[in-house]
Amino acid sequence: MVIRSGLRTFQKGNETVDYQAIYSGGNGEVYALGVVPHSHIAVVAYSLEDGEIIKQISVEAPWLSNIQASCVVIGQGMLMCVDSPTVSLYMLDLHVQSQMTQIPLQSLGLEIASGFRPILVSTQPNPARQPLSEFFLQLGPEHYLLLQLNNGQIVTLRDFKPAILVAFATSGEKTVAAVMSPKNKTACSLNLFSAETGRRLLDTTLTFNMAPNGGKPEKLYVQAYLKKDDSVGYRVMVQTEDHTLTFIQQPGRVMWIREEALSDVVTMEMVDLPLTGTQAELEGEFGKKADGLMSMVLKRLSSQLILLQAWITHLWKLFYDARKPRSQVKNEVTIENLSRDEFNLQKMMVMVTASGKLFGIDSKTGSILWRHYLDNIPSNAAFKLMVQRTTAHFPHPPQCTLLIKDKDTGLATLHVFNPIFGKTSQVTSPALPQPILQSLMLPLMDQDYAKVLLLVDDQYKVSAFPSTKNVLQQLQEMASSIFFYLVDSSQGRLSGYRLRTDLSTELIWEVVIPTEIQKIVSVKGKRPNEHVHSQGRVMGDRSVLYKYLNPNLLAVVTESTDMHQERSFVGILLIDGVTGRVIHEAVQRRAKGPVHVVHSENWVVYEYWSTKSRRNEFSVIELYEGMELYNSTVFSSLDRPHAPQVLQQSYIFPSSISTMEATLTEKGITSRHLLIGLPSGGILSMPKMFLDPRRPEIVSEQSREENLIPYAPELPIRTEWFINYNQTVSRVRGIYTAPSGLESTCLVVAYGLDIYQTRVYPSKQFDVLKDDYDYMLISSVLLALFFATMISKRLAEVKLLNRAWR
Amino acid sequence: MASPGGQGGGGALSTRGGGGARRMKWALELSLGNTRSRDRQGGQGDVVYPIGYSEKPVPDTSIQETDKNLVEKRCWDVALGPLKQIPMNLFIMYMSGNTISIFPIMMVCMMAWRPIQALMSLSATFKLLESSSQQWLQGLVYLIGNLLGSALAIYKCQSMGLLPTHSSDWLAFIEPPQRMEIMGGGMVL
Repeated sequence: MVIRSGLRTFQKGNETVDYQAIYSGGNGEVYALGVVPHSHIAVVAYSLEDGEIIKQISVEAPWLSNIQASCVVIGQGMLMCVDSPTVSLYMLDLHVQSQMTQIPLQSLGLEIASGFRPILVSTQPNPARQPLSEFFLQLGPEHYLLLQLNNGQIVTLRDFKPAILVAFATSGEKTVAAVMSPKNKTACSLNLFSAETGRRLLDTTLTFNMAPNGGKPEKLYVQAYLKKDDSVGYRVMVQTEDHTLTFIQQPGRVMWIREEALSDVVTMEMVDLPLTGTQAELEGEFGKKADGLMSMVLKRLSSQLILLQAWITHLWKLFYDARKPRSQVKNEVTIENLSRDEFNLQKMMVMVTASGKLFGIDSKTGSILWRHYLDNIPSNAAFKLMVQRTTAHFPHPPQCTLLIKDKDTGLATLHVFNPIFGKTSQVTSPALPQPILQSLMLPLMDQDYAKVLLLVDDQYKVSAFPSTKNVLQQLQEMASSIFFYLVDSSQGRLSGYRLRTDLSTELIWEVVIPTEIQKIVSVKGKRPNEHVHSQGRVMGDRSVLYKYLNPNLLAVVTESTDMHQERSFVGILLIDGVTGRVIHEAVQRRAKGPVHVVHSENWVVYEYWSTKSRRNEFSVIELYEGMELYNSTVFSSLDRPHAPQVLQQSYIFPSSISTMEATLTEKGITSRHLLIGLPSGGILSMPKMFLDPRRPEIVSEQSREENLIPYAPELPIRTEWFINYNQTVSRVRGIYTAPSGLESTCLVVAYGLDIYQTRVYPSKQFDVLKDDYDYMLISSVLLALFFATMISKRLAEVKLLNRAWR
Repeated sequence: MASPGGQGGGGALSTRGGGGARRMKWALELSLGNTRSRDRQGGQGDVVYPIGYSEKPVPDTSIQETDKNLVEKRCWDVALGPLKQIPMNLFIMYMSGNTISIFPIMMVCMMAWRPIQALMSLSATFKLLESSSQQWLQGLVYLIGNLLGSALAIYKCQSMGLLPTHSSDWLAFIEPPQRMEIMGGGMVL
């Protein structure tokens, strides 16, 4: 018979017993312990042979609310609980089950630190035998006591003050207690003590060095073993607040470190690496003011000379490296020798994790180059990471800003840091006394080339960061064309505001979607660095269908509140963020979330579960302006009298999806692929050609000209589209794409439980020479032909001259 | 250049057979030294013909009196030349088809280049036509023929789809429009 542990509620009269723990001493009985908070403890004893209930009693305990937090079982079935309001220990013999004996802590000469909730730690090395009679009682944040229950009396074996963490460990017949106590500001020392006597074991000191930007130790796991001379050796795994696991062996050697915070990445950005010294100098030279013709010429000559030198050394190094055998060429990446490579394919990934730890990871090797722990992160926090200044403006250092908002209080803090080195920036972040609603980054730059960040607080006033005079002046000039939108999904309200010159805002538009019927699930705009290369699509008769490229368009996805399969629906709303005009509205009936949306260029792709046909479906909406452009030079949302044409089509997808994102390149010439994370662990790169609303059902000459795939309702999953071949990326939570220096290449990072980084080539590598390009053959043929031409020219001249003279 | 002693006449050659004397190419002896009698001897025994003189009768290459009609005919041939090319070009065009591959492109290039070249050397043709009486008319016909030939080449380009007549040809030059408003925001954090 299986006895289920954990929470199990029983209805008994008008009380519900919450069963929270199970204890077995190995003598044929299993006890299930439950509590009715602030009333009594219910103990049910089962027989191990047949599962019959042997006895069932309840013991008065008006002070107890939670067994798991305050009680442990020690010794021969004694339930020991600690209660801080009454400052005493309570003892109950589970076999006898009469009454709880109260032992005031004062009688033992102990007292609890103010405001601290005491904790008991016990150990049962063998589940089929009784637990140890020794246990730890934590009375203060750094105060532990080793107590022993001896014939009904509690005896203090040893007092540990200061001690950060304790843990029991057993090997063979010996049980030891490991106690971690602080040594100095950056290191702690661990010692082993015998559990029976509390005596310290000799030669068992271990030092644990805390990382300067890491958190404090949170939990201790000890693995003890018996050495040949019967003494106890041990290795310890320390879990720190920043979710790092460190495995240490005596006397302090770190065997491995695992950054488990990386399994919980919230958001990330990819930042270009800085230029090399020579490149940066060149950039710097040409940016400075001109101070005379002669000096400019000399500067240019000197920079050319430096470049030539650098190039020759680079060639020599290449040649030298090529002659050395592969294994000896070491390419260790350290933070000092990081510089941008030729095609900008290696970037720095800045990752923000839910535990508040920031990582800087090199995208080529995956090695963690820097880490930083923010130790005042509230438990319910929202993060937003923005790149304010890239590495393109030497000598100003690159700057990233992390906005951390406490969802409970609404207050926010800004953490400004250098993404290449991870160090906190010298720039002072503004004090934010009011709760912050949202932030937006403007393309305006101050004189240090840092983009301006606007923060909107709950009084709908705006503060700028950096707030120099230059920036404020620019803001005042441009205030009438800065708009922002806020979406409150609990009230179902979308509102648009415009900035005034005194940095307050005025409400411009409001769209209310009643929450009784539908709930706003997500709002997606377009990525700001997206560049669309062609303004229209070429039709079969060589005319152009112009795209409706509205950079202020928002795709709002709503889900119905009625979850019944016949009545649930998913709504898509395309709203212009500046004017609030609803450009297009669509409802997908008998559909359910979770809905994944990608909004880019002039299309919106969304995926939902169709309850009617019980399958996953994709739908794509594309917006077109028509056969002629309304205004080809300037786009203003305020001047758009004509509604766009909307084309929509839906398809069936054979699998559910975890997440979706579109590829992105610098100039937008490469065709787009949709990266779809599947729950099976694969990442699919589907060409956008398949999700085209102009796909015809009946094939005509024109559609063949346009290379449109004939419409078929099923979307294929071809195995050659998987970008992670046979490796699985578990539980993909998000995919991030970034452009690289090459137009054909897009950098992709999928994060979730695992992190996977790769490059995708949606149009194959059209701008890169093939690997087997025969430089030697071509150059030798060229040279040979050149010389042959010269020689034969000379010979022909001589022959002509000779003939003329004959 | 043959040495002058090789010709007839007593001639004065420095050819001394044997005797070990050096043969000098350019030396010329006008006196009768070691003469050998040849077939052609002038009337008198020791007349030396000057260099290059020969007694053979030379064919008469003087310009003859041209027939007026012949000139006209010739000029008209020149003028109507391009027009005569056109039917052949039409046929070649029809055969090469409308796809874009190396043969049609070659044909089109040839068809286009010839009239253009002819138009560029129009002044030389006019000079050729100088002697006729209707030179202006002929010149005009020549010009029109060449223009028709180039028009034919352009028509062929058009039917192959090479001319940028449709809006899709200018699509690549359209710049993305400039944004007038800046927008940002999102769901309340």
